[in-house]
This record gives sequence, structure tokens and C-alpha cells, in this order.
Amino acid sequence: MINNVDIGTAISYMLVLISAIIAGLLLRIPILPEKPMRNSWTISIIFPTLIIAIGLYTIINIYGFGNIYSGVIIGLFSALFSKFLLEKAFPRPDIEDKSITKSG
Amino acid sequence: MNEIIAILISAVLSWINFVLIDIWMGLPEAPGVRGAEAIGKDVEKRGGDLGGGFFKGNIVCSPDASAGTLLASCAYYGFGGPAGGLIAALFVYFGNRICADPGYAGTTGALTTTFIIWAVSFIGITPNYFIVGMVMAILTIQGLYHPLSSKLIGKMARKMNRNVIQD
Repeated sequence: MINNVDIGTAISYMLVLISAIIAGLLLRIPILPEKPMRNSWTISIIFPTLIIAIGLYTIINIYGFGNIYSGVIIGLFSALFSKFLLEKAFPRPDIEDKSITKSG
Repeated sequence: MNEIIAILISAVLSWINFVLIDIWMGLPEAPGVRGAEAIGKDVEKRGGDLGGGFFKGNIVCSPDASAGTLLASCAYYGFGGPAGGLIAALFVYFGNRICADPGYAGTTGALTTTFIIWAVSFIGITPNYFIVGMVMAILTIQGLYHPLSSKLIGKMARKMNRNVIQD
């Protein structure tokens, strides 16, 4: 235990990240969005694949199913979700007014 | 730690966290949706700064770092640990996407708040103080006096090279 963080939990979180990054690279998801990043809608590995992976794994972990196997599966699922389902579940808005360029 | 001091420290940390991240992510540059544009122009009409007005409008219209800070504090408190903040970041991201927002500001805000609460927990400041602190922090921007707060935001935005993008 280091500062109340269990070593096993830390390792499984690392595995989630590694598995999501490897799956993302295999699925040819870009590593970073194009610049300026703050206005970019591109799905990338750093954002949001890793955010989804960590969030989902935390939920699974709270319910007591967190281990290295579920970690790898969640990482893989997050990459697949980002690549194929995210744009369908939460589509980009149609910007009708040309003067409105940035999404706040 | 004394309750009042803890609330004041967490209010200051929350204010710095959400204002800096929101400006860095370009909220004062342009309105994301029509509602944000209307709020920005109205604040300018009442003697405020247009960039600061867009900042306020964007905060109202989608969950940015302010909402990320508040929700991460609530979730940290609810789940009793940093796990809450990580879950909050995920749901803030989904909320952002629903609100026509790419989601960088809200998610970053939730993650940085989780880290800040974890760090200050070692000096005895718990997440419940951050919930109160964040409500006070957002009150200073959105609640007290719009012209003054928008001018402050506009000034900070110009310093951070986030000027209003003219058509």
C-alpha cells in the first residue's frame, strides 16, 4: 500500500491503459487529435479512448470485478467503442451558423 | 482543520482550477451554441467584456471545467475516493458530447480536481469542502456582478492569448 493505493489496483489500471493504447494503435485510431486540439472533434487514443477505459474500469472495479483480465478486456472494449460506436451514440453537432466556430 | 479555512482554501483552488482550464481550452474565444452567443452579447451590452461573456455563456450551455470540478468533488465524496473522480470524468465527457462540445475542458477539469482533492486530503481537506468551495467559486463568476467578472475573465484570456475570434 502506498498512500492508500493498492499495488494490485495500480497494476490493473496500468494494464487497462496499455491494452487500450495497443488496441487503439491496431485499430489505427490517431494518437492525438489534430491541432488546435481544443477545437478538434477527432477521436484519438489519448482523448477520449483512455478516459473511457479508465472510467469504465473504475465502475467495474467498484462492483468487485476488477482484475487484470477485466482490465485488458475493458481496454480493448474502449478502443472498439471509440472507433465504431462513439460517433453513432454521441454524434457531432451540425453547425448551422457559420459564425459559430467553436464548441464551448 | 478549521472548517472555514478549509472551505476558503478549497474555494480558491477550485476557482483557479476551473478558470485557468476553461480559458486555456478557449471558452472566451467563441460561443459554442446560440445560447452562449446570446449571453455573451447581453453581458457586453451591460458593460462587460465580450470574451468574458462568451466564457459565461459556454459554461451555462455545456459542462465545462466548472461542472467537471463540481461533479468530480461530488463523486469523490460519494464514492469515498479518487475512483469517484474518474467516473465523473467519464460521465462529464458523455455529457459534453450531448451538449455539442468536444469535451476537453470538462474532462480535464474533472481529472485535475480529482488529483487536487487527493493531494490536499493529506492536509485534512475533504471533498465535501470542495463541493461548497466550488459553489462559492462559480458564484463569483456567474452570480455576483457580470460586468466586473467578465472583464476579469477577458483580461485573463488576453494574457493567455485566448482572444475573441472575429468573423
